[in-house]
Amino acid sequence: MTNLLRVLVVSMALELRQLATSRFMLFGVIVQPFFVAVTTMFMLRHRPDFDPVYVVVGAALSGIWTVILFEGTWLIGGERGAGTLEYLVAAPSSFMLVVGSRLVGTMAFSLVSMALSWAIGAWLFGYSIAIAQPVPFLVSTALALVALWATGMVFAPLGVMWRTVGAFLSTMEYPVYALSGFLFPILLLPGWSRPASLLLPPYWAALALHGTSSGESLAFPLVAVWGLLLLSTAAAVGVAWPLFRLVQRRARADGTLALT
Amino acid sequence: MSDAAAVPFGLTVSRMRAIELENVRRIFRTTTGVLRRRTKEVVALDGLTLSVGEGELFGILGPNGAGKTTTIKILTTLLIPSGGSARVLGLDVVRDAQRVRRSIGFVFGGERGLYYRVSGRDNLHYFAELYALPPREIGPRSEELLAMVGLRDRADEKVEGYSRGMKQRLHLARALLHDPPVLFLDEPTAGLDPIGARELRDTVRGLRERGKTIVLTTHYMFEADTLCDRVGVVNEGKLVALGTPAELKRLVSDQSVVELEVFGVSPEAVARLRALESVDSVAVEQRELRQVLRVQTPLGERAVARLLEALGGVEVGRVSVREATLEDAYVRLIGRIE
Repeated sequence: MTNLLRVLVVSMALELRQLATSRFMLFGVIVQPFFVAVTTMFMLRHRPDFDPVYVVVGAALSGIWTVILFEGTWLIGGERGAGTLEYLVAAPSSFMLVVGSRLVGTMAFSLVSMALSWAIGAWLFGYSIAIAQPVPFLVSTALALVALWATGMVFAPLGVMWRTVGAFLSTMEYPVYALSGFLFPILLLPGWSRPASLLLPPYWAALALHGTSSGESLAFPLVAVWGLLLLSTAAAVGVAWPLFRLVQRRARADGTLALT
Repeated sequence: MSDAAAVPFGLTVSRMRAIELENVRRIFRTTTGVLRRRTKEVVALDGLTLSVGEGELFGILGPNGAGKTTTIKILTTLLIPSGGSARVLGLDVVRDAQRVRRSIGFVFGGERGLYYRVSGRDNLHYFAELYALPPREIGPRSEELLAMVGLRDRADEKVEGYSRGMKQRLHLARALLHDPPVLFLDEPTAGLDPIGARELRDTVRGLRERGKTIVLTTHYMFEADTLCDRVGVVNEGKLVALGTPAELKRLVSDQSVVELEVFGVSPEAVARLRALESVDSVAVEQRELRQVLRVQTPLGERAVARLLEALGGVEVGRVSVREATLEDAYVRLIGRIE
C-alpha cells in the first residue's frame, strides 16, 4: 500500500512538472479559460439574468476538460514518442497505476483554470463570486474531478490503441463544451442532442458545479447527480481496466511499444 | 541447469544458464496500401536457440535487421515471441513477465527514453520508486550510480541539456537502480565519442567483474572482441556462429586480408575478384568518393598482383595486407559490410 501511494505521489509530481513546462497545456489551462471567461462576460454582462458564477464555473470546466481530453488521449502515445513507454511497461509497478497517477496530476494541474477563472471574474470584472452552497460545491468539485479523471483513463488506452479513435476524441473539445452545458444550458440545444448530453460525465459534472455554485434548483436531485458521477467513475474504471490489459498485451504481441 | 549445448562450429558452453532461447521465432506483420491493404510478414527471428551462462558477458553481433534488438526485446518481456520459448533465470518471459522484470535491467541505444524536462537525478528517483526501492535507499543508491557513471556534477541539470554520452550513461545508471543480476545493453556505445565509448566499456567491464550476466549487442567488432566472453553472430534471424572471440577469429586464421582503396569500382570488377579461385570473400565499404575492398585470401601478399589484374583499369590507391580480425570473421559469416 505504501508503495502504491509513493508511485501515486511521484507520478503526480512528475506529471505536474511536465505539464508546467508544456506550452500546449499551459495554453489549455490558462489562456483558453481566460479568453472564454473574458469574452463570455463581455457578451453577457448586460443581460438581466447574467450570473458571473455560471461563467466562472463554465470557463474553469472548459480548461479542465481540455487538459484531461488531450493529456488523457495522448499520454501513452507521448510516452511512446519519447521512448519512455518501454521503460514504464518493463518496470514492476502497475502500468495502469502509473498512468492513473499521472492523470491525477493532470487533474490537479487543471485546477489552475478554476482559480484563474475565479480571479478573472473577481478582480478583472469586479464581480462578487460567491458560492451559494460551499460544502456541496466542494463535494461536487471532488466528484467531478474524479469522474473526469476516470474518463481520461478510458481515453488513454483508446487513444494509443486506435489512432483514429484518438484523432476523433481530439475533435471532441468544443462539442463536449456545448453538449455538457459548460457555458450555456443544454436547453438551448435541439432536443435530439439531449441523450448524448446525458451520457457524458462532463454534463453531470457541469450540472453539479453550476447548481451548487449558483444555488439554482437542478433538474435532478443533487444526490442523484453525485450518484451518477460516482457511477460513471466506476463504469469508466471498469472499462479502462481491461483496456489497459489489452493495450499492453497487444503492444507486446504487435511490437508497438516503441516507435523504432 | 548447466549444459553443454551443441552450437554451430562445434563450440560448447558449460555454465549455469541465466538466459535460454529455444527455437524462438518472431514474425512482424505490416500492412501497406490505403484502399487495398496488403499484409506483409517479416521474419525477424527464425528458430533462434542459444543460452548465456550466469556471470557471462555475451555479445550478439549481426547486421541491421538481423534480429539483435528483437532478441533483446523478447528477453526484456517487451515483445512476445511468435513461437519457441525464452527464459531468464529460469523464468518464462511471457508467463512470468512480472518476475522477470524485477531481475533485469536494460539499456536501449539512443538518446530517447528519458524525461527531458526534469533532471538526471529526478529521472533516477522516479524509476527507483517504480522499481519499489525502499525510500531510504533511493537517495544513496542514486548518488552511488551517478558517481559510477560520472554524472554527479551534472545530476541536477535538466536532461535536455545532456550530451548523447551523458544520456547513455544515465540510461545505464537507471538500468542498475534495482541492482539486477541480468543486464541487456542494446548498442550502448552507438554514437558516442571515442572517450565516452571507452568509459562506458570500462563500466560494463566493471559490472561483469561484479558478477552480472550481461547481454550486449553491438556493431563494433573490437568492442565485442575486448569485452565479450562469447559472441553469437545472428543473420536473418538465425544464429550463424557462436563462440569466444578467439574461436571465431580462428575461422579466418588461415586467411589474410588484402585491403585495396579504389575509386569508382564497378559491380562487374567486384564480381571478377569474387570469381578468383584464391579469393574467399570480398567486402566493399563505401567511404565518400572511394571504396575499400577487403579481400580475404589465403595467399596474402602473393594475391595482390592477381587482384590488381582482375580489377582491370580501376584506379587503385593504397594497398595493404594484414592478418584477419574478428571483423573479418564476421564479414565472412555475414558476407557483406553495411
